[in-house]
Amino acid sequence: MSSEPNAYSSHPPRMRETTMLDKVIANGGVMSIALFFVVCCFFFAVTTDAFLTAPNLLNIIRQSAPLLIVAAAMTFVITTGGIDLSVGSVLALTATLSAAALQAGIPWPLAIILMLALGGVVGLIQGYFIAYEKIPAFIVTLAGLSVIRGFALLITGGYSIPIEPTSPFVTIGRAWVLGIPAPALIAIVVLLAAYVVFNETHFGRYVTGVGANAEATRRAGVNTRRVILWVYILSGTAAAAAGVILSARLGSGSSNAGQGFELDVIAAVVLGGTSLFGGRGSLVGTILGALTVAVLANGLILSHLSPFFTPIVTGFIILVAIWLNFRLFKGGAKGR
Amino acid sequence: MTDTQISRVRMTGISKRYGALQSLDNASLNLMPGEVLGLVGDNGAGKSTISKVLSGAVIPDSGTIEIDGRPVSFTSPAEARAARIEMVYQDLALCDTIDVAGNLFLGREPKRHIAGVPMLDKKLMHERARDMLSNLGIVIPDTWMKVENLSGGQRQSIAIGRAASFDPSVLIMDEPTAALAVAEVEAVLELIRTVSRRGVSVILITHRLQDLFLVCDRIQVMYEGRNVAERRIEDTNIEDVVNLIVGRKFAARSAGHQASHNQAGHTQERGASA
Ligand SMILES: Nc1ncnc2c1ncn2[C@@H]1O[C@H](COP(=O)(O)OP(=O)(O)OP(=O)(O)O)[C@@H](O)[C@H]1O
Ligand SMILES: [Mg+2]
Repeated sequence: MSSEPNAYSSHPPRMRETTMLDKVIANGGVMSIALFFVVCCFFFAVTTDAFLTAPNLLNIIRQSAPLLIVAAAMTFVITTGGIDLSVGSVLALTATLSAAALQAGIPWPLAIILMLALGGVVGLIQGYFIAYEKIPAFIVTLAGLSVIRGFALLITGGYSIPIEPTSPFVTIGRAWVLGIPAPALIAIVVLLAAYVVFNETHFGRYVTGVGANAEATRRAGVNTRRVILWVYILSGTAAAAAGVILSARLGSGSSNAGQGFELDVIAAVVLGGTSLFGGRGSLVGTILGALTVAVLANGLILSHLSPFFTPIVTGFIILVAIWLNFRLFKGGAKGR
Repeated sequence: MTDTQISRVRMTGISKRYGALQSLDNASLNLMPGEVLGLVGDNGAGKSTISKVLSGAVIPDSGTIEIDGRPVSFTSPAEARAARIEMVYQDLALCDTIDVAGNLFLGREPKRHIAGVPMLDKKLMHERARDMLSNLGIVIPDTWMKVENLSGGQRQSIAIGRAASFDPSVLIMDEPTAALAVAEVEAVLELIRTVSRRGVSVILITHRLQDLFLVCDRIQVMYEGRNVAERRIEDTNIEDVVNLIVGRKFAARSAGHQASHNQAGHTQERGASA
């Protein structure tokens, strides 16, 4: 407090100007992943010839589109203090079902709408159990992971279903628009929308509120259960979109697609500085996190290292980035 | 405040059970417009619970609530807010990772439309937050600061500012001064006087009994979930209240101490507030 003892008299503001360093520390999570991203890019640019070429960079964005899209939605989920482990299974289910739907003669736009709706309904069901029946998200979506993958396997008998290469459906995964791959374009649109919703809307504010103090947010008159329900609808729908894009790019729907996808997504989100405890999320961080995961996978292959190095290196990077986050920046971590 | 006036709040037969524990047992509460009611009782007596029932945060097992003579049954805090009932919660109910302005406006953030899409109007929110805080004389360096970086007393001030700034008709304060320094306590008491003069009904829950005698019109004592006594402030003194709270003649040194403390402040205050 200031020297003036009476709190009711007016005071000049006691705040010094916010310095650059304050801002860096306040955004510690984003800063440490930005650092890592730049270091990774620099490293592969120097050690390989192919990395820093336009085709390769566009290829990275094209391949990471499903990851980026689902990670954006997962940022909302994790910021509420939840988790969605079922996204890889939803991706597999919608990839196979979209192939099956096209085979059954359903027009492609309808097939896409059906798949997105299916993802939304899966999210709705899981979200209902989490928000209204108060079952921990980890358990509900772990069950979902198993059940939904099971359905995908059951429907295909474990085989992959081909998609007619002449179908306009495959353009979603393969077309180039204005020199940018279509999946990348979709990802950019989704990310922009997610950024605005997360930072500038009431819904985004309540997502943070639920993660920070759900009871306080409820007492402020917010329907917190509906907020929680919606984040799982979002992640289900995003996973379905990822499934559609993946099957369109590969030209087939495989029930084995997206094994371990949920872990990549969660790694990307957590790398980006979003706290698993909830209440703190950053979409910029998530984008950087997802791109870092993608750049690592791509760069290690270009370095002619065994692709089996990827999970090892990714794991280490997660640990180091988050350690930096806790120690150096004291961001991301719980404040008090 | 004559008997012919309609009560602002009338709660009757409120019961609430948590598992084996009967938190509220046929409790009631009456509050006239502009009245300041002191709610006291032992730890666990049910003061917070009955006020949460009124603020919609807890749904009672039974009992009726009337606001301005009309029966209501709140199923959510949003409904109580719509009825202009505001509460400072004992645990403050702040979101640590949201900034000061965001906490002040939580649940009723101003909107602006961009291309038809409703968005947060952060600029307006921060402007109005600054006004709200300076109107209440609350010193917070920056409305963009996250609440987790504020001191305990500053956090409490934010919670009070939030409840007092949206034109409440009933203001419930559950231990609003627990973390406050001397001057800030005075400020809160002054705030209570000001709003009650404007016709706002106030429920003040506090363990600082001397404060009750500075602002309250009436004191209601709770014990194990029931109302046990009610006194007009001019008919009682601090020793009496202490005995009512503990339920028997209580000769603890602290009680006598508080009482003598009060006697001095008491006479002075009576004169000042008259
Ligand atoms: N959510 C809850 N779950 C279980 N028991 C509860 C809950 N809320 C309150 N209680 C119990 O109800 C009783 C009354 O609690 P309450 O918080 O109303 O007391 P209080 O009068 O405000 O006490 P204090 O002066 O310590 O704040 C306590 O025994 C408490 O343990
Ligand atoms: Mg209490």
